Parts: sequence; structure tokens; C-alpha cells
Amino acid sequence: MTRLSIEALEKRFDAVRAIAGIDMEVAQGEFVALLGPSGCGKTTTLRCIAGFESPSAGTICFDGDDVTGLPPEKRDIGMVFQNYALFPHMTVNGNLAFGLEMRDIAAGEVQRRIAEVLGLVQLDGLGERYPRQLSGGQQQRVALARALVIHPKLLLLDEPLANLDAKLRDEMRFFIRGLQKRIGITAIYVTHDQAEAMVMSDRIVVMFDGIIHQLGTAEDVYDRPATRAVASFIGLSNFFEGTFSGQVGVHYGLDTALGRIGCGAGFALTPGQKATAMIRPEAIGLASAVPNGAAAFQGTVAERYFLGNLADYRIKMADGSVLQVQQPATASFAPGAVVHVILPADRAWLVRERAP
Amino acid sequence: MKPGRAAYLTSVAAVYVFLMLPISIVVIASFNSGKYLRFPPEGFSLRWYAQFFASQPFMDALELSLVLAAVSTLAATLIGTPAALYYVRHAKNWRETFRLYTLAPLLLPEILTSIALLFLYYQIGLGTKTVAGLYFGHIVICVPFVFLQVTASLYNLSPAVEEAARSLGASPATVFRRITLPLIKPGIINGALFAFIISFDNVTISLLLKGVGTTTLPMQVFDYLRWDFDPTTAAASTVSILMTLGAVLAVDRLVGLRAMRY
Amino acid sequence: MSERPARPTKLPLGLLLALPVLVTVGALIVVPYVNIVIMSFRTPSTTRPYAPGFTIDNYARALTDSFYLELLGDTVRLAVMITALCLVIAYPAAYHLARTTSRWRGVLYALVLSPLLVGVVIRSFGWIILLANNGLINQMLRALELPALPLMYNEFGVVLALVHVFLPFMVLPLMGAIQGIDPRLEEAARSLGASRTKVFRRVVLPLSMPGVQSGCILVFVLSCGAYVTPALLGAGRVHTLTTEVVTMLDQFLWPRGAALALILASAGLIAVWLWAHFSGRTMRGLA
Repeated sequence: MTRLSIEALEKRFDAVRAIAGIDMEVAQGEFVALLGPSGCGKTTTLRCIAGFESPSAGTICFDGDDVTGLPPEKRDIGMVFQNYALFPHMTVNGNLAFGLEMRDIAAGEVQRRIAEVLGLVQLDGLGERYPRQLSGGQQQRVALARALVIHPKLLLLDEPLANLDAKLRDEMRFFIRGLQKRIGITAIYVTHDQAEAMVMSDRIVVMFDGIIHQLGTAEDVYDRPATRAVASFIGLSNFFEGTFSGQVGVHYGLDTALGRIGCGAGFALTPGQKATAMIRPEAIGLASAVPNGAAAFQGTVAERYFLGNLADYRIKMADGSVLQVQQPATASFAPGAVVHVILPADRAWLVRERAP
Repeated sequence: MKPGRAAYLTSVAAVYVFLMLPISIVVIASFNSGKYLRFPPEGFSLRWYAQFFASQPFMDALELSLVLAAVSTLAATLIGTPAALYYVRHAKNWRETFRLYTLAPLLLPEILTSIALLFLYYQIGLGTKTVAGLYFGHIVICVPFVFLQVTASLYNLSPAVEEAARSLGASPATVFRRITLPLIKPGIINGALFAFIISFDNVTISLLLKGVGTTTLPMQVFDYLRWDFDPTTAAASTVSILMTLGAVLAVDRLVGLRAMRY
Repeated sequence: MSERPARPTKLPLGLLLALPVLVTVGALIVVPYVNIVIMSFRTPSTTRPYAPGFTIDNYARALTDSFYLELLGDTVRLAVMITALCLVIAYPAAYHLARTTSRWRGVLYALVLSPLLVGVVIRSFGWIILLANNGLINQMLRALELPALPLMYNEFGVVLALVHVFLPFMVLPLMGAIQGIDPRLEEAARSLGASRTKVFRRVVLPLSMPGVQSGCILVFVLSCGAYVTPALLGAGRVHTLTTEVVTMLDQFLWPRGAALALILASAGLIAVWLWAHFSGRTMRGLA
């Protein structure tokens, strides 16, 4: 169990900045996902932690020990690669034994550890197979076992599920998370799949263009996104641009083209300042009559799509904007119907235009 | 079957017949009892093989060809493999230049290389009094074949596999010995096979560079064909084909020829 | 962690890897070629490698003497013929090999490759047995009481044998290019109403042009430099620049032979360059 600290990490490739100002603390036994679109710097960050890239600036510490200058083989990490990177010329046993042999562990102990880890990933009896004789899901679990069998300080996973089909991917999410909790190992997980990040991690680091936009729990990044980019990348959002009018209790007033709406915020504003609020489609209420007590705006149902458990609406508002609204499929508003749109203040959230 | 498709398939089949025809003819001629291959053939005989194996000049030529091919293969493998590693892993700004430089013996007309080497040997006093020059010539034309094969196998080797070994605690030297080398071994062996065949069958280089009074097997066949028709050459050719075939089959059994390219 | 180990510097190891090939190709290709270029400007002598002094006479003679010009023309003409024949013969086979799903595909592929494993001398030998004046084909013609044909000791025999020798070099790049064409493109074209012939002319052929180009350049260059087959099947009666150069070496006219050989090599390169230039494609992917 290891605590990971990263401070002011920066990596440039020639003149191109891949990542900058990466600061994070990962607690012992914590599962942290690095989430973002391709090219956002999440893989570069992981490769710096692993030692495959040497950072241009900043430090990486395992349990307070500076490992920034150490080559990967001296860092005691377990890494799972996107295409598994199993050694094709070795059996499963050979793959699993490799890391133990590098540590000069006695043959008897090697056998014991291999048997133990094969049981852990539910691959008992497949030790003599070659990687090409295994299914994708099995290869994935061998890769996981190979990283875990050396009892590393840190488990690093680089999009390990990207090459599996949807059903298997779903299973493996819970499998990996369950295993990580059981062993209690600190894990860093790179993914571009928001659902994967939300299901699996204790905390999520959302990155764009080489910098961290937000570091928080799944609830944090979904309900209280720090920036417009985070809100757009994770889930669906409606955005309202307006001017901050002042605080009313815990809520912030924002004057938009629709009118004044209330919302929450994670940072201070001064009245008159331009700001953007976001609200999730399922947080918006629709009513056929003017509701009591809540602020409501009139709109017209432009389109309705049936999604099974939900119905997805496009509501045309008075200012010409179109809102996306999701309601339980039980309630039904026909296209053309005039509806009242409720924007609950405790579900609307102010987002920054750029990372703080 | 439509006539168009029949014509297409016939033309395809004709190409295969055309490709195999002269080679099969040589093999058939070597087993023919008469001096000239007649139609219909005159009967089966191994007399040309007996003559071939009893002929001192042919045996000397065969021996030189085998030793020459073996030495050239070994040297070309030892030169071409590190070159491929350098090209794929280390060469930066002059990658393309380095590749063209290494492939130059393959890209330049062989006859011109042969002439250029001949002139140089005479000017530096090496001449063709010894077979050393012949060895040098064969080695240099074999290098590109090893280089191409090893380069291809290095490209097929995902860097993540080597990184995985590093992450498991292996030093760069251990990674090379335990991971890289075993995985590019098929490429190296295929490259060596090519080098062997190229050297064993070569005439253009040997033609000008062979030492005085020595000759290689294909050169011996070449000279026989130029001056006199003798079915012993057919037997010699068939033996040569069988040796190449043997080398190919051995390599196929050893590592498989999936990576084989020309 | 007490120390930061120095990162291994890549340069010395890299250069060590490159050193053997740098030395080998340097000594056995670069130096001899520089030398032959110098040699081509020497004054010829029949009693020693070259006489004192430099001259451009070797080039002037080769490029003005109608004998050499004709020889150069013949060499290029033969190479063009061989290349064109190879293309026409190889295309159907390459297309078939690229598209077939037959379980014999591996065997057919091996058949295409196998001539490469048999030396040029042996393959030419096979053609001699077939094409000689009293060879198999003429024997059959006589048996059918037909007149014998002059098949060897002329351009016909040389071209036929060289087409055979270089055919695999045409099939392989063509096959590679055709394999790269999505078969659904052909289906799409047919669904839009194109006949098989039209599909070939408008879709397959244009998309396989990179393969056509690599194959043609390869065969053309190889044909220009061919020596063994013309020497055997032409038997002194078909002259190309290569056979002439080797004759000159025997006559000890080295500087003149050097000039002629270099003209031959540059003629090939110039032809290739012209072609690549006019077909407007890059030569990437070649070799």
C-alpha cells in the first residue's frame, strides 16, 4: 500500500507541452481514474508515474520517496497495458514468473505466488497456455495477474478494457474494482470512457489539453463540474450564459436570455460578472400547468424520442434556444404541446469557461 | 461458368505453369538417360548424378559455394541485425538516409557493384588472386536482406511488450536478452535464410570476383552452359535446388516462414 | 531514494549498432563507386588498368558513337518490353492471389515465390533446354512436321526468359496493392451498375497504381542490369550494355567500361525518375 504524490509535473516533447502543473495526492488503497479525451495528457501522466517518460519538471513520490529519476524497473510498479503486452513467446506461467525472476524469488515461492494469483483472476489450469491460445478477456486477466503477482507498490492501468466487447467490458469493470479493493492496492486507471471512470473509481481526475480541470468523486464531477469542458465531456448538459445578479441564500442568481435562474457555485463571483450555468437534462422538470412556487419558463415540445426507460425531449424556448430534457417515459408530452420548464436551483451549477 | 471467368482462370493457371515450367524441365533433364532431352523422354537414369558427384571441379565448386554462403550469411546477420536495431530504435534525423545507405547494395545494379569492386580490388593490390574479395562481395550484397527481415520483425514487436518487462523489474539489457531477441529471432533466421540463398545462387558478383582457378557452383553451371551442353549441369542444378529447398524447409520447421517477404 | 541514476545516453550504443554496416557498406559500396566514377574519367590503356591523365573521352565516345547509342536504345527497349509483358501477365495472377479464399492460397503464394529461390542460371538453363534449336519445343514441332522456329540466340528467347525471371517481382507488389483495396468498393461499383470490365478499369486498376508503379520500376531497373540471362540465351548474338561492359573488361578497357556502366545505371535511374515525375506519384513504398 503506497501513497502517491505528484507535484507540479510537466512534460514537454521538444517544444510541445504534453502536460503541465499536474498536482495530485493519491491515498493508500485509493482507486483514481485519469479521464479525458485522447491527447489530453492522461497517458503521458501515467507513463511519467511508471517511469517510461522522464518529466521536464516536477516530482513524483511513492510514500514520500522521490522516484522521479528512477528507471521503470526500479520503481516496483505493476502495469497493465492497453493491448495487454503479454510476452507472446512465453506461457501464462512464464509471463507470471518473469517479474518474480527479476526479483530473484525462489522457485518454490514463484510457484506458490503464481498459483495464488491465477486463482485470484480465475484462470486456474491455464498456466501452460500461450497468450495466443487465450480469449481477449483471458489475456486481459493474465495481464492483470502479471502486474499483481509481483506485489507492486502501485497498480497502473492504461485503458485496459478498450479492446474488449461491451458486455465483457462491463463485467471486467466490477472484477477489477473488486480485486483492487480486496488486495487494497493503490491504483491509477487511465480511460476515456466516463462511465468506466465513474463506476470504478474513488476519485476522478478530468484532464483536457495537458492540465487538470477537476479532481473529485464521481458525484463531484457529474453534479458539480468545475468547467464547461468537464460538464460537456461527462454526461449531457444544457448551458445558460448570463450575468451574475447576486446571491440569494445559498443560491446564485443568473440573468439569462430566458430570465433569472438560480444555481449553485463552487467559486465566488462579483455582481455584473458574466457566467455560465449548466443543468443536466434529467434534472429539468416539465409540467403542463404552471407549478406552484418554482420558477418556470414556457416552451414548446419540438421533438420527443422514446428511449425505453426515459423519454428525451427537445423543448423550444421563447428566446429561440432549445433545451434537452429527459423525463420518465411514463409522463408524456406530445410534440407541439406547450409546457412549463422547471429549472431547480439546487440542480443548476455555475461552471468556469477555463480551468482554474 | 461464364466464358469470361473461364478465360480469367485459365490465364491465372497459365502463369503458374509458366513459372514452374523451366525449373521442372531442368529437374526432368537431370534424370533423363540420354545426353539430350528428347520428346518423349528416353528413360530414367542417375548417371548424370554419378558424374556430378565424381567430378572434382563440380565438387570443389559445391564446397566453395557452401562455405561462401555460410560465411556470408553469418557475417551479413552479424552486420544487418544491429543495423536494423539502430534503424528502428535509435536513428533519428537521418533515418531515411541510413535506410537507403544500408539498402544500397540491393538498390544498385549488381553487375555495377561487381565491376566497381573488381576495379577497386585491382587498384589496392588485392586483385582476384585470393578468394577474400569474393567473400567481401557476397557479404555486402547479403546485408540488406537481413536488414529488411529484422526491421520487419522489430516493427511487429510492440514497444509495450518491452515496457511491460521493464515495469516488471527487468533492466534494458535483460529486456533485450529475454524479450527482444527471442521475439525477433524468426526475423533474424528468415533474414539469414535469404542471405544464404542470395549468396548460394549468386552469379553476377562471383562472375568477376571469383579467385583465379576457383569457381562457385552456379558459376560452374554458367560456364558449362556457355561452352557446352552437358546434362551433368542439370544434375548440379537439381542438387542446388534441393539444397535451397532443404534450407527453406528447415527454417520453416524452425520458426515458420510467415514473416517471409522478398 | 538516495541517488538519481544517470539515464543511459543513447548515442554511443546506437553508433555501436550502426558501426558494422557503416563500415561494410562504406568500404564495399561507397569507396568502389567513388572509385569507378573517377576511373570513368581516366585514359584507357590496353596494357594496364589506365594510362595517366584524365579525359571525358569515355563518355563522349559512349554518347556519340552510334554503336553505343544503339546498344543503349536496345537495352532500354528490351527493358520496356519485359516490364510491359510482366505487368500484363502478372496482373490476373496477382488479382487472383489477392482475392482468392481458396485453401490452396498458401500453396499458390509459395509457387509465386519459389522461382526466387532458384538461381537465375538454373532458370535460364530450363529455357535453353526448351528453346534451343534442337530443344524440346523444336523437337515437338519437327515431330508434328512443322518447321523449326528460331527461339533462342535472339531477343525472343532473352525477353521470354527475363520475363520469367522477373515475374515474381511484379506479382508481389501488385498483390500487395490489390489486397489493400477493399472488396466492398468493387461491390459498390457493381451495385451502381458498372460491368466487371468497367469495375476493373475504373476502380481496381486506378487504386492498384502504386503497386503497378513499384512493380514496373523494380522490373525495369532489374532488366536494365540483367547480365546472366542475356549472356546465356543471347549467347553472344544479343547485345545489351551489360554484356558489352563485361566484354570490355575482358579487353582490359576499364575506363571505357566504367563510363558505359555508369551511363547504363544513370539511364535506368533517369527513366525511373521521369516516370515517377510524370505519373505524379511519390516513390514512397519502393524497396
